[in-house]
Amino acid sequence: MPVQDRTNEFRACVESIRNRSSLPSRNAEAKQRLLNGNAKRGDKSEFSRMAAAIGKDISSTTVKLGKLAQLAKRKTLFDDRPVEISELTHIIKQDIANINRQIASLQSYVKQRQGQAAKSPAAKQVEEHNNNVVMLLQSKLANTSMTFKDVLEIRTQNMKESRDRQEQFTHATAAAANPAPSNSLLFGNRQPDPMGDGSLGRSSMKGKGRAHQNGDLLALDLGSAEEGMGGQNDGGAFMQMQLVEQQDTYIQQRSTAIETVEATIAELGQIFTQLAQMVAEQRETVQRIDADTVDIASNVSGAQRELLKYYASISSNRWLMLKIFGVLIVFFLIFILVS
Amino acid sequence: MKIYSLAVVLVPHTGASTILAHASDLSSFSFYQRGSVGEFMTFFSKTVAERTPQGQRQSVQENNYVAHVYNRGGAEQLAGVIITDQEYPVRPAFSLLTKVLDDFTAKVPQSSFGNTSAISFGELNAYLQKYQDPRQADAIMKVQQELDETKIILHKTIESVLQRGEKLDSLVDRSNALSAQSKMFYKTAKKQNSCCVIM
Repeated sequence: MPVQDRTNEFRACVESIRNRSSLPSRNAEAKQRLLNGNAKRGDKSEFSRMAAAIGKDISSTTVKLGKLAQLAKRKTLFDDRPVEISELTHIIKQDIANINRQIASLQSYVKQRQGQAAKSPAAKQVEEHNNNVVMLLQSKLANTSMTFKDVLEIRTQNMKESRDRQEQFTHATAAAANPAPSNSLLFGNRQPDPMGDGSLGRSSMKGKGRAHQNGDLLALDLGSAEEGMGGQNDGGAFMQMQLVEQQDTYIQQRSTAIETVEATIAELGQIFTQLAQMVAEQRETVQRIDADTVDIASNVSGAQRELLKYYASISSNRWLMLKIFGVLIVFFLIFILVS
Repeated sequence: MKIYSLAVVLVPHTGASTILAHASDLSSFSFYQRGSVGEFMTFFSKTVAERTPQGQRQSVQENNYVAHVYNRGGAEQLAGVIITDQEYPVRPAFSLLTKVLDDFTAKVPQSSFGNTSAISFGELNAYLQKYQDPRQADAIMKVQQELDETKIILHKTIESVLQRGEKLDSLVDRSNALSAQSKMFYKTAKKQNSCCVIM
């Protein structure tokens, strides 16, 4: 629900009540209050305009998200429109980032106004209202982001399932020959990693090692499954046993894991080299500082020497000054006596 | 990620298979379920071991259990089965199986494969407990983990070196300014001396 500006309705109510109650003494104050409301409307409508814009953006993003969810839920085998979906995902991501920025600017605007606002109770209510509106918008944005994330998860699951089913129908050898496609960024994020732990970030795309993670699904071995079912006297639920052959996969997983370790060690070596280089650069700076400090020391000691000399000359000069004054007084006396 | 059970199965070419050694960790199930779950595990292990051709590895998924089987065949016709949950990484599971089978063949002579009760392979339990956390137990994963930690530490080090660089830069500027000022100080002091010689 976007933020609506219902000031006009409020004023209409006030007018009608005023006409009904018809107390002329209240007229002046009411007019005063309305005028105040009018004056502040400039600032308030600025805020409400921004908030309304953000609300509109959020609702349009929600609509797009609904469309994406519908697209992602489709379980058809061949008419999967990855281009549209990835485009839509990209657009929605940009929208969410945009709205985030707008909300942040709105919040800073509110804070700025809080700093300048008067401390009257009316202003406090306005502040509270602004804060509430900002929080409402933030929570709506958070909901939208959560829905977006869910839709992305559904999408990855469906993609996996559809690929499994595709490989059921195309035969096993073909599946083993062509590597698993990593078409959209979604699937790229959920790649299985050779270690099984969370350290996804480092492993680069080593084609063959990665490909066979998912490319080893055979067609369901229905024959042996059926005779297995016939053998059991279990009339209960049908146990689907998916037989997956992993002979090659295991060895390749091992080799991938070791290659990853090797890559990590190489990376570490690089980091060390970088570190050494940075420290070497800083050594030159340190040498400059050193030279500067030595200069400072020599300058200051030289200055101190000069000052000492000056002081010594001043203190020893007193006798000279007395002599000079004595000569001046003698000349002065001579001139007085002559005149 | 947990291991539920670990078993060594004798899989002759003809006839039924028998479990030679078995260890399980059913602590995550409620007390009353443990019996039936344990039976299910043994049955599952035997079935899956029988269905795996010799010299092959397989992974079978059922509800939320995954069984990894490695049928080594060979002279002893042994197979190792490990039942885990779905999160457990696949590769260390198979390395664990290989290790267990090697140990078993080293320790238990083939002659005693006939009577199951005589075989005591206590290391199974030890392995089960140790491999509950594969990252610590599996060699490659441990190395990888340590390398990652080292990398994080190195990143922090580089950041602090960068900060040190910034501080050194500011130090250079300040020492430059101080040097200029001390030079001015010296010159002024010298000027004092030379200027007023008269008095």
